[in-house]
Amino acid sequence: MDLKDIKAIIDLMKKNSISEFELEKQDFKIKLKRGFNGGPQLLPQDEGLQGYPVQHIPSASQPAPPSLPAQAASNDLEIRSPMVGTFYRAPSPESGNYVEIGSEVNPDTVVCIIEAMKVMNEIKAEVKGVVTQILLENAKPVEFGQPLFKIRPT
Amino acid sequence: MFEKILVANRGEIAVRIIRACKELNIRTVAVYSEADINSMHVQLADEAICIGKAQSSDSYLRIDRLISAAEIADVDAIHPGYGFLSENAHFADVCENCNIRFIGPNSQAMNALENKAVSRALAKKAGVPVPPGSDGIVENEQEALATSKRIGYPVIIKAIAGGGGRGMRAAHNDISLVKGYHTARSEAEAAFGNSAVYIEKFIENPHHIEIQILGDTRGTILHLGERDCSIQRRNQKIVEETPSPLIDNKFKDLRKKIGKAAVRLAEIAHYTNAGTVEFIVDDHGNFYFLEVNKRIQVEHPITEEVTGIDLVKQQILIAMGEPLRISERDIHFRGHAIECRINAEDPFDEFRPSPGRIDMLYTPGGRGVRVDSHVYAGYTIPSHYDSLIGKLITFGKDRREAMDKMSRALSEYIITGIKTTIPFQQAILQDPNFRRGVYSTNFIDQLLGGARRDLIEEKA
Repeated sequence: MDLKDIKAIIDLMKKNSISEFELEKQDFKIKLKRGFNGGPQLLPQDEGLQGYPVQHIPSASQPAPPSLPAQAASNDLEIRSPMVGTFYRAPSPESGNYVEIGSEVNPDTVVCIIEAMKVMNEIKAEVKGVVTQILLENAKPVEFGQPLFKIRPT
Repeated sequence: MFEKILVANRGEIAVRIIRACKELNIRTVAVYSEADINSMHVQLADEAICIGKAQSSDSYLRIDRLISAAEIADVDAIHPGYGFLSENAHFADVCENCNIRFIGPNSQAMNALENKAVSRALAKKAGVPVPPGSDGIVENEQEALATSKRIGYPVIIKAIAGGGGRGMRAAHNDISLVKGYHTARSEAEAAFGNSAVYIEKFIENPHHIEIQILGDTRGTILHLGERDCSIQRRNQKIVEETPSPLIDNKFKDLRKKIGKAAVRLAEIAHYTNAGTVEFIVDDHGNFYFLEVNKRIQVEHPITEEVTGIDLVKQQILIAMGEPLRISERDIHFRGHAIECRINAEDPFDEFRPSPGRIDMLYTPGGRGVRVDSHVYAGYTIPSHYDSLIGKLITFGKDRREAMDKMSRALSEYIITGIKTTIPFQQAILQDPNFRRGVYSTNFIDQLLGGARRDLIEEKA
């Protein structure tokens, strides 16, 4: 079983709202569990496998997996960068961030700045919802189309 | 020394530039549109930045995004390739203002050769022969008629900002002149946003001979010989070769004369970096200036093969401020080189573009065979850009050997899943007139003019 197969199983679990899956073969056993934990968490972008622990179970008992990030529902929208530049979470180094996880946004809410050629461009949410994920760190370069935030629409 | 270069282009030329950079130990940054995410240049570069959607106007032509990408990647220079923004003086200016070296001619030269009409005037000033024609832009119908009467039919109306054969109309009498004048202007407006045209004597079935020049920042300008690009279909080059069989067989002294003229024009324009001066030559050996291409050209590899000089590396070195380390004495022409432009087009269906997924790919090899291409098996050719998928270049000790190798290489070249011009080029290479080296710009029309269809099909 390779990563492709595991991803396929996870997709099926998502689609059919299955919370637990276990498979045992000759010398290999895999158990997939969709966990739900409260509390905000920042995860580095890891497509397809966010929040899903994959456990190899050589023996019967295993410690519980480390706390999982807030479950991002599969219908979260992405705010993508409309330009090439540098991503800033706050209007200036001294100010607070525009948004955090859990922040409510409206279409006109400024969620970040992308600086291009010394011009600070305010990027608006363009949707109404709640920020569920912040997909990159402050002051990192961004390319066109790069996902910046995940928003759960309300 | 440049540490990092951003390649502001795509396709085979982006791969070419990245290769030269790698050999010079310079790190590379590729930019790509969303349609090019699987393109070879993106894979080969050290870094890659997405700059927009598929449409060139939303990506490769976006000066703001290119500069932004150059800034976040902290590059020293930008190589613009050919097409796109390579001859855009404004882009070159913006680069310099942002402290990014533009790998191409300086702004002064770009402005001196800003458009075809201005270049024509400069050529006259430099004592370079130009076709009889208008004094600059032809403002209205009356002027067009008067000019044509003065120089005599047939004439050709040309857009000053034109390229790729568009915005041009030939006229053999007053009626077709008036019609052509207005059509050329609208076509030019639509294609280039500039409807200004000028008029020249139409030299029928000319030979297209161009001279490669290199200029450094100290004012030294050299020429690296000619390329014969007369094999064209609708003003698009299909096969190019050097040396020119016309010059070798009929007008041996033309090489020196045309070379000198090209260098003189480049000097008067204070030209730097690589460029090509295009001429037309008639059947009596008279040559006339056409225009200057202020960039590296598609067909540059054939000059590289016969001179042993890497032109893209020279561009980079010149942009770094290095003086040319080659002198006229050092330039030796050895052997013969031919290039075929392989396009994803169906030669059996009016050369209709054939984008799609390449299923199987086998590129030819062996001694004296060079393939400059960005495609691979499994690659899907996007429909948004030009159809050039690769260049096949052969080098032989003489023309005969170069041709034989080209025929051999074309026969080995397998690309399935899409249609290509390979069978068409094979037909050209087998044509007796081509083999004799007797052809001009009407060659393709004659080839396609019915009687040859069986030959093309046979070679498929």
